Amino acid sequence: MSEAPDLSEAEALAAEHALGVLDARERAAAETRMATDPAFAADVEAWRERLAPMLESVAAVPPSPELWRRIERLLPANDNGALMNRLKFWRNSAVGGFALAAASLAAVVVQVNQPPITVERQVPVAPQGELLSASVVSQDSRVQPLFVAAYDPDRKSLIVTSLLPEGSERDKVHELWLIAGQDKPQSLGLVEKGKAKVIALPTELLAKMSEGAALAVSLEPPGGSKSPDGPSGPVIGVGKLSKL
Amino acid sequence: MARIAAGEREALRQLYEATSAKLFGVCLRILSDREESEDVLQDVYVTIWRRADRFDGARASVMTWVSTIARNRAIDRLRARGPMAYAEPVEDLEIADGSVGADALLEAADDSNRLQGCLKELDDRTETVIRTAFFEGVTYEALARRMDAPLGTVKSWIRRGLAKLKGCLQS
Repeated sequence: MSEAPDLSEAEALAAEHALGVLDARERAAAETRMATDPAFAADVEAWRERLAPMLESVAAVPPSPELWRRIERLLPANDNGALMNRLKFWRNSAVGGFALAAASLAAVVVQVNQPPITVERQVPVAPQGELLSASVVSQDSRVQPLFVAAYDPDRKSLIVTSLLPEGSERDKVHELWLIAGQDKPQSLGLVEKGKAKVIALPTELLAKMSEGAALAVSLEPPGGSKSPDGPSGPVIGVGKLSKL
Repeated sequence: MARIAAGEREALRQLYEATSAKLFGVCLRILSDREESEDVLQDVYVTIWRRADRFDGARASVMTWVSTIARNRAIDRLRARGPMAYAEPVEDLEIADGSVGADALLEAADDSNRLQGCLKELDDRTETVIRTAFFEGVTYEALARRMDAPLGTVKSWIRRGLAKLKGCLQS
């Protein structure tokens, strides 16, 4: 075989990750990068696709007949629809309250949600919980994610990347929300179009960063949602947090 | 996959019927233990159920996607057993018996033959380390220890091997 050109550093790393030779720390770093760097994620997927045919040579063996029933019992309710409904509920109640307030007041005080501080903290701490990621997709077309996010428990931060074109819809901003349990949506601040951002999470939110919680993005006027209770504009996408 | 993402259990059951024997084979190949493999397989389908909304048909085929999940979960389990798990040598791969019904598998046979051909073109040592890494999730460090070679050397074997593999698959 003739000498093949070397892989670029990024592609070599993607290939190594797909192959599985990285150690635990490097793997976590690669997963985080996948969640925030779509080109790198595509490289990893392409390498998985290249290597996966090795699995084809493995003989198929039927599992025990009762395994399906065991799996079926374990399936959590798939709550994509329920999440959207809850968000709509919050939004409607927020809009209603807002209209009422607007009608009764001569001037409306716009409450600007303070985006969390976006400084990376490098304090070495014991890992809290697991690495999680979410891909925020529109409910209409599930194909292209609008945002990708990864939660890094070591750094207690959420890395979120907007995949929407920079400079589109200049009069609107995107606000990121955490939806956990029955709590009202919690603002995680604004995310600029086409930009990545590291959001340091306040301690009280860390416990909520678990599988099953979801991230949502709403379209808001500049400054963010006008409601203290949740999104005031339409929710354009939702994605559940899950283990990498 | 879209139906699974929308919460249709029946769609997951259909996927299970088409793919469970293959994925169980993958888990068994990695773990060599039926009971552990069934635990992992259970986890694999729950994961598919939860993550079906992430499946991107433009990037990966369904079969690759689900097999990758199965392989990763089985390797996680293998790693959790501790360093002793890496003591076994890689035996020769079993040959598929062709008993799997899923159309996707039949289509994949060509890819498999191409990849096997390209792997064969690598030198034996590189082929072995790549196969070992793939089926056991062995890290560079463990590979280097096992092969009694410096880490940097093993790394360059694999990187060069992967670059050649890519070249071969493209030609």
